[in-house]
Amino acid sequence: MSLEINDLRFRYSPKGPLVLNDIDMRLEDGEIGILLGRNGSGKTTLFKNIIGIEKPESGSMDFFEKDLLKMDRRERARLIAYVPQDIHFGELSVFDTVLAGRISYFGFRTGRKDEEAVERILLDMGLEDLAFRSVTDLSGGERQKIAIARALVQEPKLLVFDEPTGNLDIANEQLIIEEARKASREKGIGILISLHDLNQALALGDRFFFIKAGRIVKSGGRETFTEEMIKDVYGADVRIADVDGRKIVISSV
Amino acid sequence: MPRANPPGGLCGIRPGVKLSIIMSSKYLDLNRRKRTTALILLSAVMIVLVFVCLFVGSSHMTLAECFDALFKKGSASQIRIIWNIRIPRVLAAVIAGAGLSVSGLIMQTDLNNPMASPSTLGVSNAAVFGANLSIIAFAGGFLSTGNNVNSYTVGADPFATSFMAFVFSALSVALVLGLCRLRSFQPGVVVLAGIAIGAVWTAATTILQFYATDVGLSAAVIWTFGDLGRATYRTDLIMAIVVIIGIAFFSVISWRFNALLSGDAAAKSMGIPVERLRAISMLLASLITAVCVSFLGIIGFVGIICPHVMKKILGQDHRLAIPASALSGSILLLLADTLSRSIGNGSALPVGAITSLLGAPFFVAVILGRRRSSL
Repeated sequence: MSLEINDLRFRYSPKGPLVLNDIDMRLEDGEIGILLGRNGSGKTTLFKNIIGIEKPESGSMDFFEKDLLKMDRRERARLIAYVPQDIHFGELSVFDTVLAGRISYFGFRTGRKDEEAVERILLDMGLEDLAFRSVTDLSGGERQKIAIARALVQEPKLLVFDEPTGNLDIANEQLIIEEARKASREKGIGILISLHDLNQALALGDRFFFIKAGRIVKSGGRETFTEEMIKDVYGADVRIADVDGRKIVISSV
Repeated sequence: MPRANPPGGLCGIRPGVKLSIIMSSKYLDLNRRKRTTALILLSAVMIVLVFVCLFVGSSHMTLAECFDALFKKGSASQIRIIWNIRIPRVLAAVIAGAGLSVSGLIMQTDLNNPMASPSTLGVSNAAVFGANLSIIAFAGGFLSTGNNVNSYTVGADPFATSFMAFVFSALSVALVLGLCRLRSFQPGVVVLAGIAIGAVWTAATTILQFYATDVGLSAAVIWTFGDLGRATYRTDLIMAIVVIIGIAFFSVISWRFNALLSGDAAAKSMGIPVERLRAISMLLASLITAVCVSFLGIIGFVGIICPHVMKKILGQDHRLAIPASALSGSILLLLADTLSRSIGNGSALPVGAITSLLGAPFFVAVILGRRRSSL
């Protein structure tokens, strides 16, 4: 079991409401897990707890049987990488932006090993032509790919994506989904991703977690995708059809 | 920075061609060379200005006389002018310029705010209040209290005003950072808390000045004009210690600032202790400012102009931006000081006024530039 979360509770202030309530989650090594739920249901907060930006009130989080809550920041960064929803970069070159992702390895001064790791990732992702350009000159899709490259250069065992396709056109959406799939298949990296597009989720995911008001109400494989579940989690009427052996979600509106 | 580089154009590599392992080394060599060239150029300009600043003054000494005096030849008064007046002044310009500029750069990165500067935390306002309190209530020193004309010349401790300015600057920093700790050092909160605390110091200064005598008020106002003429070897040494330690520390952790450019969430996920980094670097940047302002008075805009120009030309990579900002800060202050002594017709104009005069048009240019680019 790569990621195992038990009874996780979290609130932003001691007297505030519970934002995450008794979260239980399991993700196997190399699996693609999709977090599904409405805006404000707790998806980003759960991710922030997993990558260590927030600390839970109670519960446990183990990663390859190591306690994530007791783990040193740098050690955690070498295991779990994050691609945030809002991507910011300074005015650095693509190469240096990706190189910054190695900071948990090099600390203060970059070494040859770090530079080679960046080069490998850029070549793998076909970004070598952009290596010397400033990230400020890139398009939305390219910037998203650079953010993924920066996360991959951390050589993580789990990659957490927070709504990566939110502001992208369909071509860039497909590109990002393909990168996630490639990372999972070719590098054996576990992926945890939140998506709004249910069909995209069905096409990509191995395991699905439906979150509602800070609770995981259902988790499992494609069989969890039912019209009732979607109605319960999103409050939306949909129809689920079978097209060429693939499940398709169709809005009733 | 690499903005001007065409895709794949660097190192003569054609787009679409798979690069070998040489890619990073060529790129890195070029990057290193660019960094070295930029720093050598800036250092050369600074050294030239150091000599210009040393050789220009109201005493109308010739170049040969200045050189002689520099090697302790010539008349006693000429040697005194160079060694007791101009060298401490030039050193102050180099040290304070570097310190104020790097402080501005670090605050802008820390707070993710291009307009952040030492005044953002109310450091300068607090220093003004401390100095005003010392001058108006304690007559410029602690040996004699009261508000009478003689006290300004008799028995005034020259360090008392600087000391009071520093104490209040440090107090202001502690207050702002203490308040911000409650909110995990969120950049927006730090800026707003700094503005609020700065407003309190300004109000307190106004009240203090309202009750001051004419002489006390003019002495207090004159203090606020940044003036490199106040520098002595002792004050230069104190400033140098703080500024060198600060810049060395910031340089060592320059990659952390590069990582912080990606935003708090991404930086934390890379293993950066963002709150700790922000608190320590803000404290150190404020300390540098507090020490410089306490000894020299308010020298505005250095912390905004220099880092901005350097970032525009060389990019935001802190490995280069920190030393480049330091050198450009020294250059600006040397330039402003030389100007202030050249156009002052015998008496040096306050260097703070010159840097502000240079800063205002720059601010307008930045604002207009941003508007245009966003359209």
